Amino acid sequence: MIRTLLRVLGDEHARPLRRTVALMTAAAVAEGLSYALLVPVLRALFGDAPADAWPWLAGFGAAVAGYAALRYAADLSGFLVGTTLLRGTYRRLGEHLTRLPIGWYDAGRVGEVSVLASRGVLQALSVMAHLLAPFVGALVTPLTIVAVMLAFDWRLGLAALAGVPVVAAIQAWAGRALAATDAERHRRDKEATGRVIEFLQAQPVLRAGGRTGERFGLLDDALREVQRASRRTVLAALPGVVGLTLAVQAMFTALLVLGAYLAIGGGVGAAELPAILVLAARCADPLLSLADMGGQVRGARAELDRLDRLLRTEPLPLPRVPVEPAGHGLVFDSVTFRHGDRVILDGLSLEVPEGERLAVVGPSGAGKSTLLQLIARFYDVESGAVRVGGVDVREIGADVLMSKIAIVFQDVYLFDGTIEDNIRLGRPDATEAEVRAAASAARLDEVIARLPGGWAAGVGEGGALLSGGERQRVSIARALLKDAPIVLLDEVTSALDPVNEAAVHEGIERLMAGRTVVMVAHRMRTVRRADRIAFLDGGRVVEEGSHDELLRRQGRYAAFWATALTPAPGD
Amino acid sequence: MTATDLAPAREQPPPPEPGFATGPGMAALLRPHAWSFAAVVVLRVIGAVAGLAPLLAVVELGRILLAPGPADPARVWAAVIVGAAGLLVRLVFTAASSAIGHVLDDRVQLAFRRRLAERLGLVPIGWFSRRRTGELAKVVGEDVSAVHPFIAHTPGELVSAFVVPLVSLVYLFTVDWRLTLITLIPVVLAVALVPLMMTPARLREQEEFDAGMGRIASSVVEFVQGIAVVKTYGGADRAHRRFLTAVNGFADDFLRMVRGLSRPAAGMQVALSPPFVLVVVLAGGAILITDGSLAPADLLPFALLGLGLTAPVAALGHGFDDMRAARRAVGRIRDVLAVPALPEPASPLLPRGHRVELRDVRFGYEEGREVLRGIDLTLEPGSVTALVGPSGSGKSTLVRLLPRFFDPARGSVMLGGVDLRRMDGRELYRHVSFVFQDVRLLRASVADNIALAVPHAHREEVERAARLANVHDRILELPRGYDTVLGAEARLSGGEAQRVALARALLADTPVLVLDEATAFADPLTERAVRRALATLGGDRTILVIAHRLETIADADTVVMLDDGLIVERGRPADLLARDGRFAAFWRAQRSAIADETPAAGTAVVETAATAGAAGTAGEETAAEETAAEEAAAGETAGGRASRGGTPR
Repeated sequence: MIRTLLRVLGDEHARPLRRTVALMTAAAVAEGLSYALLVPVLRALFGDAPADAWPWLAGFGAAVAGYAALRYAADLSGFLVGTTLLRGTYRRLGEHLTRLPIGWYDAGRVGEVSVLASRGVLQALSVMAHLLAPFVGALVTPLTIVAVMLAFDWRLGLAALAGVPVVAAIQAWAGRALAATDAERHRRDKEATGRVIEFLQAQPVLRAGGRTGERFGLLDDALREVQRASRRTVLAALPGVVGLTLAVQAMFTALLVLGAYLAIGGGVGAAELPAILVLAARCADPLLSLADMGGQVRGARAELDRLDRLLRTEPLPLPRVPVEPAGHGLVFDSVTFRHGDRVILDGLSLEVPEGERLAVVGPSGAGKSTLLQLIARFYDVESGAVRVGGVDVREIGADVLMSKIAIVFQDVYLFDGTIEDNIRLGRPDATEAEVRAAASAARLDEVIARLPGGWAAGVGEGGALLSGGERQRVSIARALLKDAPIVLLDEVTSALDPVNEAAVHEGIERLMAGRTVVMVAHRMRTVRRADRIAFLDGGRVVEEGSHDELLRRQGRYAAFWATALTPAPGD
Repeated sequence: MTATDLAPAREQPPPPEPGFATGPGMAALLRPHAWSFAAVVVLRVIGAVAGLAPLLAVVELGRILLAPGPADPARVWAAVIVGAAGLLVRLVFTAASSAIGHVLDDRVQLAFRRRLAERLGLVPIGWFSRRRTGELAKVVGEDVSAVHPFIAHTPGELVSAFVVPLVSLVYLFTVDWRLTLITLIPVVLAVALVPLMMTPARLREQEEFDAGMGRIASSVVEFVQGIAVVKTYGGADRAHRRFLTAVNGFADDFLRMVRGLSRPAAGMQVALSPPFVLVVVLAGGAILITDGSLAPADLLPFALLGLGLTAPVAALGHGFDDMRAARRAVGRIRDVLAVPALPEPASPLLPRGHRVELRDVRFGYEEGREVLRGIDLTLEPGSVTALVGPSGSGKSTLVRLLPRFFDPARGSVMLGGVDLRRMDGRELYRHVSFVFQDVRLLRASVADNIALAVPHAHREEVERAARLANVHDRILELPRGYDTVLGAEARLSGGEAQRVALARALLADTPVLVLDEATAFADPLTERAVRRALATLGGDRTILVIAHRLETIADADTVVMLDDGLIVERGRPADLLARDGRFAAFWRAQRSAIADETPAAGTAVVETAATAGAAGTAGEETAAEETAAEEAAAGETAGGRASRGGTPR
């Protein structure tokens, strides 16, 4: 576990962590050793000259003081290290997250990583801060005591020593047995959380389906699975806990029996045996507490493992010597791209000269959105190359590439801040006037006028307080403010009704003016704004040309519009 | 998976207890499990008290051995047997208590989650729009889990942490009261340090730390959720820095708290630690033994049992954080359970027919801002009503009152002469179905998604609805056709999802249909599906549509023009055009907005496609020509309808 932790943290934190563990171990050893003085103290008190106990007692007191000092130092060091761990973990996590490809962040991932980064990290680190010292103590103190016992009476000491491998074996076995059920439980929890969110978001349609006031089957199944998995975990944990307790207690009983046997035979002094049994009791208590800590430590370890796996996800390779793109033309050079087993783009070649507008049209699943995402390097191609300004996007520095591109997507994510915050994201150092100008060019001023609070109005979680069209306008304003030479539009107007679309028409026109534009579109009005159209199907360009040329060709493109506009059968 | 899997679980939920709506206490929620709770506590206490037996056995052994003369083997073995038996009892009872506790915990958690789900299924839809889904999901998931120590651990552990020392204390008093008092010194010292940890400054630091914990969690979430967007704007480093600043602030808070707390906390730790307690006990014992007032053998029980006296203080410190977290979690659970449900009538009325009437309906999402400001509207069976108006005029809100997402603040919405509030919820949804833009599909098979409202529908009926919604062919392309689990095996585009939602509404086959036509603009196939649905449904249905397409508006029996929460014009489209008022102005604006994508242009394209290579296609027409053509077409359509007059559909 410490090893995973060190890997997660990186080497620079290894030394302080090791020092802390060493301090904790030292404190635990000091505790165990201080008990050694119990034997002479008790021997004196139980003997004929109880006053002889005083020097020993003074020694015991000194040992305890030493233990207290070590323990204080260890605790303080633990807290300090905990804080460094917190900073270090978050720094590494943050750096890593900024380097992962945007394509990696699908909806499921975002939720998973949020939970891991917020709750998971804090949980793991708080366990480290609060439980590490007791955990080390529970392991080291009994071992020290066993050594002390060996020194005083080798037979009783050996009996205690025999228990050590048994306890260790049970701990290891219980840990392995539980890892599987823990993973299962985690999976079920995740499944249930997904169902709860679905249940909440689908309330309108569930109610329309008459599914309220009763249990919603899918959710209830998931909740029951959580209960079952949790019960399995409990049942799986029980043998380990019972086994550990049994082993420790058997050890204590064996010492009791052996001591009684030796005492009856006169093999051990009447004063020593009770003293050694007091030691045995001190040995058993911390070991039993291991069982209680086990669960929390396992939980922390599982979180650390997840964190470790995340940190080991490969980010997109950065160019060693970044090249500046010359100009803003785009080239797809026999690009093949796969998502899982599915071939999305299949040897696609396409060129968009600087300043030209290309519309990409085609049936769903044709690879249209992927095309845009490859330009912005959300993913890397499998073979072939995507070039911006004549340079492979993999050779361009990430910041430089992003500074050349403005993207407006159909799904717009807005931060839970004000409209202004969200627009300003496009160019954080923009002046007030520039932000306002971008907003009014995207026709946002009428939205702002309607909202209570106006400019300072919050947009809600993910922009929930705005309609789809309004979110789109914010996104357009953002892109306008960014003022990048390449503009990517993904079905920008499909969520808009004609009035809304008319409202943003001017904004989009200004966004496209004089720039290299690639737009995925479904609507003829938008498509016809393009200089050229590429009709995509099955990951290839099947037709290419201007709107009129393609209509005249009577091919796939013309048929596409025919489908859209023929009166449906039954009209 | 079959459609029936989606059917509600067979068991009926227990009837809500009286006073449920006002928020049940923990006690009420736990009452059904009282006996199991008692068992958990009693078993645990018996086990813990039995755990004293081996210590007493050692004490007894010491007495026997320290007594002058040879030890009596029978007494020695009796002590050993009692000790071993005590250990066995402790093992069995503690394990039993823990097992029952955890099983009970699982059961209580399931009960809590079901209660929460049940309540969330009854609250007004409007309530959700003001809350974050993630937070609510957290209440159902994490917060219920946080109750775990409350149920599985705390009661047993807390009770035994007090009972065992109490038993020990009584025993020790009978041995020697002076040494008992001395043994209590460490406990007193530890308790004396507590106020030092509770000074206002410390408490403030604690609160800051708690708040910081919440802030750091939310800034992590925001960082992760926004990172993709931020990256596309090249602001990843900036966001990262901001995030690190938050982390550093939190770490500083933490350190400040630790610095303040570390001294009293360390003092407390040392006072309660076994070596310190032993030093005190042995020093006290040495004094009493040297002055001859204590038998040496009587020191043993203090050295063994005296250590356990610190347990209550330690338990209080240890379990405190969990307890506080659990209490906060329970608070949030109770808050959700206390949300009043959308009221259901005690004696529901059945609607007669399906005329929809809105009478002086007023509604606002928040106090003092009415979105609908007095709507009077009747939707006749067998008619299509087109709702038009600028963005933000209240169209979406108005249509959402029909499926009772909200109740009006004033006035009433009536179906078949019955106020929706006086109808049974299920009866309402037998009458009203809807297709809105914000489609949410379930992670279930396509067939189940379509058959949501009609769980026992035959596959043929499902397919018929899918065909009508133009999505059948697409479904067949999915890996397992209609059995494909959406979200897991396949993902649908926005338009496809909307067509599935349309199929859902078509299969439900309700006499009232509410539709947002903006749905249609997702893609050409969806547009066609919506048009076809509007054209084929008709019959005796009451249809309300938020209309965007000029043909839909022209084809409607009635157009209702909404502006700023009021109906500003209503009537037949042709009449309204003739009146040249608000609607006519809106019509013209709309027409110019879509000037280059008119039905006329569309038809022209189709003709092009059909009559191979005819010159002078629509594509080459100028916008002005199109506008003229379209104006004519629209006028004709509207006029045509007007001339048909009151022809029943």
